[in-house]
Amino acid sequence: MANIAAKRIKREFKEVMKSEEVAGGAIKLELVNDSWTELKGQIAGPPDTPYEGGTFLLEIKVPETYPFNPPKIRFMTKIWHPNVSSVTGAICLDILKDQWAAALTLRTVLLSIQALLSAAEPNDPQDAVVAKQYRESPQLFNLTAKHWTNVYAGGPSSIFDFNQKVQLLIDMGIDEHQARVALSTYDWELERATEQLFS
Amino acid sequence: MGFDIKRFQGDVDEELICPICSGVLEDPLQAPACEHAFCRACITEWISRQPTCPVDRQAVTSSQLRPVPRILRNLLSRLCTSCDNAPHGCNAVLKLDSLASHLVECEYNPKRLMPCEAGCGLVIPKDELAEHNCVRELRALIATQQGKLTDYQQELTEQRLIINEHKRELALLKEFMRAMRVSNPTMRALADQMEREEVVRWANSLSRARVTRWGGMISTPDDVLQMMIKRSLSESGCPPHIIDDLMENCHERRWPPGLSSLETRQNNRRLYEKYVCKRVPGKQAVLVLQCDNTHVDEHMMVEPGLVMIFAHGIE
Ligand SMILES: [Zn+2]
Ligand SMILES: [Zn+2]
Ligand SMILES: [Zn+2]
Ligand SMILES: [Zn+2]
Repeated sequence: MANIAAKRIKREFKEVMKSEEVAGGAIKLELVNDSWTELKGQIAGPPDTPYEGGTFLLEIKVPETYPFNPPKIRFMTKIWHPNVSSVTGAICLDILKDQWAAALTLRTVLLSIQALLSAAEPNDPQDAVVAKQYRESPQLFNLTAKHWTNVYAGGPSSIFDFNQKVQLLIDMGIDEHQARVALSTYDWELERATEQLFS
Repeated sequence: MGFDIKRFQGDVDEELICPICSGVLEDPLQAPACEHAFCRACITEWISRQPTCPVDRQAVTSSQLRPVPRILRNLLSRLCTSCDNAPHGCNAVLKLDSLASHLVECEYNPKRLMPCEAGCGLVIPKDELAEHNCVRELRALIATQQGKLTDYQQELTEQRLIINEHKRELALLKEFMRAMRVSNPTMRALADQMEREEVVRWANSLSRARVTRWGGMISTPDDVLQMMIKRSLSESGCPPHIIDDLMENCHERRWPPGLSSLETRQNNRRLYEKYVCKRVPGKQAVLVLQCDNTHVDEHMMVEPGLVMIFAHGIE
């Protein structure tokens, strides 16, 4: 890997480790390999959001051309959010694309992603289905996001009604995650979800 | 890209760190409005991808980048760093502004050029000295020289062919010209006129010369000297149809009555100052051309002019 990229990442890794956010448990960072090209990030769901109490893992890949190009980051933990693909975990965040600036660091990027969880950008969605729900049924969106946080990110709020519906579909032989995606997509209407799953 | 921060003694101020490479600023430039500073190489690379400041994303083009203020440069130059060759054993600690001059002469530099002591006479980077084999290197050298020699020989053969071709064409042309001149009086007049004009053009292209010591004149120059003067004339653009006549006129046996013997030369000495002399480039000699000297007495001049060679005294 290019000298400049490795040097930067080493320095930024130290910066994150020394930061108060790490001390406070808001973010974490660890190395995946010795060549500094891949790291694993972790952010805590921000308070007063449906993600509160959840822990979200991020895959961070550092390109050869870093910091002239941004790091490639995606959610490894499944999450229900308008700017994150519920399928791939890909993130729609300007600073990871055309608004990248070479002076940004892993710390500032992790904090920006955390901030994105507090303030979604439904007009610039990564996941159209989620964004539609966010706009049209905010309450349902909140519950769905909470449910996903509970199931995938260790969040505290178990939602009995949703769990039950998922279990119903599992009993019909549907894969659990598939069932949850279908129900989330059709605003937890069992009939429409079933129809889509068996069509 | 910047200097590795680990090379510096003590803490380095955050201001002196390049936000792009996170090294200590090397040859820094700053953005005009926000004054953020970066290594020249780093910011050039960044702007080639995106014309913005890497810190605050304000629009910046490479032509707007400015040198950093003197105070920042002074702070940088005072930082103490280890030598680039520290891994090779150099223990020097240097001010950043004297690093470059140290690197040139640092004896731990593995790439420092060293003469081979074994006698081949080649100069080689120090770290290649251990592997160096005089015979192998010289053989390689011979091989490349041989290759070049073959190329030159080939080129020479081709050039010779071309020259021969030109010579044939030239001879044909000359023959044609001669025939034209003989058969057609108008042509003859025209050709004469052209030749005269050519001489005048050449005369005008030469710079004036001043003879300070007429006594230094060599009235009987030998063949070697004559050849040297002739070559210089030819290089200065002397028209070929007069060059041989001119060269004949560098010896007293062809000089006009006023110059033909030591005695007449003594008598006419004061007339010399009337000559308009032209410089023979690079030589202690002057041209006294007929076309420049129509004002001079007939017994002091011959066609197409005189070449006077001196031992010294030409300006
Ligand atoms: Zn700036
Ligand atoms: Zn730099
Ligand atoms: Zn040194
Ligand atoms: Zn040798």
